[in-house]
Amino acid sequence: MTIRTEVDLGRRAFAIGAASAVAGLTIGFRWALAQAPQSGPPVPPMIRSNPRLDAWVRIAPDGGITVMTGRVEIGQGMLTVMRQVAADELDVAPERLTLISGDTAQTPNEGVTAGSLAVKLGSTALGLACADARATLIGVAAKAWSVEPGAVKVEDGQMLGPAGQRMSYGEAAGRISLARPVDVAAKRKSPAEQRIIGTSYPRVDIPAKVFGQPVFIHDLRPAGMLFGAIARPPAYAARLVSADLDAIRSRPGVVEVVRDGSFLGVVARREEQAQAAAHALAKAARWDAGAPLFGGQDVFDYLLTAPSETAVVHTAKAEAPPAATTHKAEYRRHFQAHASIGASCALAQWQDGRLTVWSHTQGPFPLRGDLAKGLRVSPEAVRIIHAQGAGCYGHNGADDVALDAALLARAVPGRPVRVHWAHEEEMAWEPWGSAMVTRLAGGISADGTLAHWTHDVWSFPHSTRPGSDAGCNLRSAWYLADPVLPGKAADIPLPTGGAARNAVPIYAAANQTITSHFLSAMPIRTSALRTLGGYFNAVSAEMFIDELAALSGRDPVAFRLANIRDARLGAVLRKAVELAGWVPGVVGKRALAPEMIGTGVGLSRYKNSDAYVAVVAEVSVSTKSGLVTPLRLWSATDTGRAVNPDGVLNQIDGGMVQAASWTLQEAGRWNSGIMTTVDYGSYPIQDFLTTPLMHSVVIDRPEQPSLGAGEGSQAPAGAAIANAVFAATGRRVAEIPLTPDRVLAALKA
Amino acid sequence: MVGLTVNGRSFNVDVDASTPLIYVLRNDLALNGPKLGCGTGACGACTVHVDGRAVRSCQTPLSTLRPDARIVTLEGLGTPEKPHPVQAAFVAEQALQCGYCTNGMIMEAAALLAAQPNPTEGQIRQHLNGNLCRCGCQQRVVRAVQKAARGGV
Ligand code: FES
Ligand code: FES
Repeated sequence: MTIRTEVDLGRRAFAIGAASAVAGLTIGFRWALAQAPQSGPPVPPMIRSNPRLDAWVRIAPDGGITVMTGRVEIGQGMLTVMRQVAADELDVAPERLTLISGDTAQTPNEGVTAGSLAVKLGSTALGLACADARATLIGVAAKAWSVEPGAVKVEDGQMLGPAGQRMSYGEAAGRISLARPVDVAAKRKSPAEQRIIGTSYPRVDIPAKVFGQPVFIHDLRPAGMLFGAIARPPAYAARLVSADLDAIRSRPGVVEVVRDGSFLGVVARREEQAQAAAHALAKAARWDAGAPLFGGQDVFDYLLTAPSETAVVHTAKAEAPPAATTHKAEYRRHFQAHASIGASCALAQWQDGRLTVWSHTQGPFPLRGDLAKGLRVSPEAVRIIHAQGAGCYGHNGADDVALDAALLARAVPGRPVRVHWAHEEEMAWEPWGSAMVTRLAGGISADGTLAHWTHDVWSFPHSTRPGSDAGCNLRSAWYLADPVLPGKAADIPLPTGGAARNAVPIYAAANQTITSHFLSAMPIRTSALRTLGGYFNAVSAEMFIDELAALSGRDPVAFRLANIRDARLGAVLRKAVELAGWVPGVVGKRALAPEMIGTGVGLSRYKNSDAYVAVVAEVSVSTKSGLVTPLRLWSATDTGRAVNPDGVLNQIDGGMVQAASWTLQEAGRWNSGIMTTVDYGSYPIQDFLTTPLMHSVVIDRPEQPSLGAGEGSQAPAGAAIANAVFAATGRRVAEIPLTPDRVLAALKA
Repeated sequence: MVGLTVNGRSFNVDVDASTPLIYVLRNDLALNGPKLGCGTGACGACTVHVDGRAVRSCQTPLSTLRPDARIVTLEGLGTPEKPHPVQAAFVAEQALQCGYCTNGMIMEAAALLAAQPNPTEGQIRQHLNGNLCRCGCQQRVVRAVQKAARGGV
């Protein structure tokens, strides 16, 4: 077998001198080209912000090809996808490429790798740049040989002329400069011409992970590295009154104790020494507890009654026959966590007033900006180099820990300091996915079409990442003696949406009103958890459409098909029910048996603009214990051109497992001041025994643009499971997660 | 000084005997296979073999190891040139996403197959139930273990 290792961390990470020289070049030119003429073919967004061709691809005289992406690997195979795209457009073997990702000194600024946008935006830009480079090099050979460019063939980086002429990419590159704007008119290969895009090319990072080679940020061990740990307050609003730093300084291995306002941390020679010292420090310190969370109120009452920004975010109006059946429902979802298997980690080093941070952030450039604000230095003094961490599933502690490491490393100039949070620390201090409430109302005409549909959503913020215009979104900055506070959180407007993501129905209701009630202040800090508000809005809508079908005596699948207009939605739905062997029927109350089996469906188009996914779930419900066990899931996905079909399947199945976990067992709880569900006992996640059997298919549409798939399956899977419980029992459990106590309560109602 | 044998080599480390094995493997011996996850025995990311048994190195103070204990980490289980069947099957099945849990999955599965070469799917799930994967790769992991058991790589 052949083993490809993606990154040699040790070498790359510390080759700072050489890389910085390149950095000045790449970044320095961005200004001039940002105002390139706007006529002609559309400029892809990532090219608009990074117009220079050599910001994306460079070719050395020896033919060595380096491609650069601002996207980063977060465990979803993005670097493999980027390699596939670049190799195909350049006509070279993927193994030949050197790929640099997410380094503020070397790569394009592509913001954040999130929201299923990496393939859609990132690979579009990189593919276009590589197509331009290939056409340019072919042009050089064609001119030298006085032939038409169409007569030049390329085989793995070698250009061949009709009379047997040969020229390497390296030689051709030596005769021209790629230091110019990307030609956005460059022609990318048609699907028929692509050889690597569209194949399940094996993930390039997998062998190293399977053999224990250095891949992760945790595997960086620069000489002289020290370990840091933070002494956390007992509550989010707590402030430090006093702490005996000297007592901690005398503990074994402790090198420095840092206090800045209520930020307290320890630097030690060994990791376990730093952790033990920080723990002792936090415990012995005196803290002022601060005000209770939500004023002591239940979070759902708080969401519905605290001041919020209310806005109608979408409407549709049309003539429709009067509603023969109407229905209203309210649904709730608890706080949910990213709960990564590996807690957040960062490595920081100060040298002559300049800071380098190795981080598994999703956004190296936005992190750089917020770190500079929090540390009160200029962004130019900070370099972020991406190194992989455990899967993050959104905005977890990855960015925050970078500031923690930088604050501690500042006390030991020249020494690299690694901070690796504990799991409990991550669970307590990372931003959580927002608790939410939805209220839906709808009406069906006598012919079974939807006459009206309203959807109200109450939510805390879904995006408080670094990189906003105002303030600093790194937590420890808020605890400093001279704090750098975050700005007021803003919602992401539709069409993609944050709180209201996927609140616009996929169903063709004649009259629609979608209203968002956004609470920008968040007693428990919230931010992006995979799909933002999309999971819960779509799950709410799918629960609601099932209830409408039941009320009007219709089969849930037939009712959906009668009310959708997008043929691609219909196609995934038909495929999923075909895989599942769906038996049409009407959901209604049944006599309770000890064990009840039910089948439900969920349908969604992520963000109303990305992957189409339909899921059918079969669950069993114990009416004695209330326990729901997901037995089987069938799914069909249409993601347009699937760049890597196996990668899509891996994401779809993984998302379904995560959704099963969210939907059935995950809920954050807190005491007066802080989250208390901080370990796997109090916040369990999906295990092997409760993971359903899954059968998933991808409907490939090579002629269609690629759509984001990484977050496509959570909502339909969650909805299918909730609807399967509805089908099994005829009772709706309207609060997520569907824990045994809630199921039992619904059965009694 | 505490002596220990890891992947066939002997080491002496200057640490307190109460130190959990994971810190010594990762930070003193610079091994990358075992990962620090929960640190409380609940996730399995830190799994290594001690005398052929899968143990959680975060819950294993050095003082609890016999002086002649043979410790094997993911690096010692197999190499790209000579992969253990479970490692080869994980590559073949692309049985991971972020890969942070992968060490524990492979070490736990390898110990299972050593004791029970032909486990049923239910037995595989049962055996791996204490190993958590937040990326949701459980089904691929089971498939990879089945493949390794069949010797079909
Ligand atoms: S890190 Fe040892 S079991 Fe989780
Ligand atoms: S692959 Fe990410 S935790 Fe298992």
